[in-house]
Amino acid sequence: MASESSSRRSFLRRCAVAGAGLFGSGTLLHGERLLALQRPSLGPGDPEVPNEAVAKILKDLFGDRPIRKGHLSLDMPLVAEDGRIVPVIIESDLPMTPANYVKAVHLIVDHNPDPHLAAYYLTPALGSVALQTRIKMKRTTWCRAICETSTGDVWGAYAHVNVSLNGCG
Amino acid sequence: MSIGDARIRIPDRISRGDLITVNAIISHPMDTGFFRTPEGQPIPAFFVKDVVVTYGDEEVARFVWTSGVSKDPIVSFTLKADREAPLTLTWTDNRGSVYRRAADVAFASA
Repeated sequence: MASESSSRRSFLRRCAVAGAGLFGSGTLLHGERLLALQRPSLGPGDPEVPNEAVAKILKDLFGDRPIRKGHLSLDMPLVAEDGRIVPVIIESDLPMTPANYVKAVHLIVDHNPDPHLAAYYLTPALGSVALQTRIKMKRTTWCRAICETSTGDVWGAYAHVNVSLNGCG
Repeated sequence: MSIGDARIRIPDRISRGDLITVNAIISHPMDTGFFRTPEGQPIPAFFVKDVVVTYGDEEVARFVWTSGVSKDPIVSFTLKADREAPLTLTWTDNRGSVYRRAADVAFASA
């Protein structure tokens, strides 16, 4: 008797688990759909899917290491009236100690004639990562700031900039 | 301003250990090589390709640029002021010209 009731109980439990799983996947799908609605730019133009030239640059710089989002901020205007002068501010909260520091920050602009626009090689003597400069942009596209730490971690930040006037000729 | 005129700005009063912001500007056309003169002649590429920052004898940063950086390029970064030493920026352009400016990091006697 005892074994029978236990097998019945386990059957019921399995049913419950399967039902929960179905329900869970349903809500997940719904969530993904919502996310897709919120981000209409998902596709070839999304920063996660770079074009061929950018893909090659990223591959040459970082190999197969994943570029994670975070610890870095790329501050650029949403709309740049003049593509000849687009301000850029790159900041990071990563430590700058001799044991662990940001050794390089790369600035990549996807559709510029030379996408790998600038590279900043840093040392712990700088104390923090807070870079400012002005760049030229050819057209509306994504900009990427990607930093590499001395321990080999790679962090990235992205900004989409609408360019009104071509600054590259 | 003629090509190569440069300025470095650091705070007036610095205490030992301060994190100071350094601003630097150099006058340079930063020609990409894609533009033409009104007469139709191409303007060859002419840009600052390399900036080296030294603090005392130590090289603390190096910036590698392309012609994608704007005309009269500015750059701003932070520096941990832990000793009194000259801060030197050396700009090198793609025609081999070298421009150098220095600012003295000196602590306020207060």
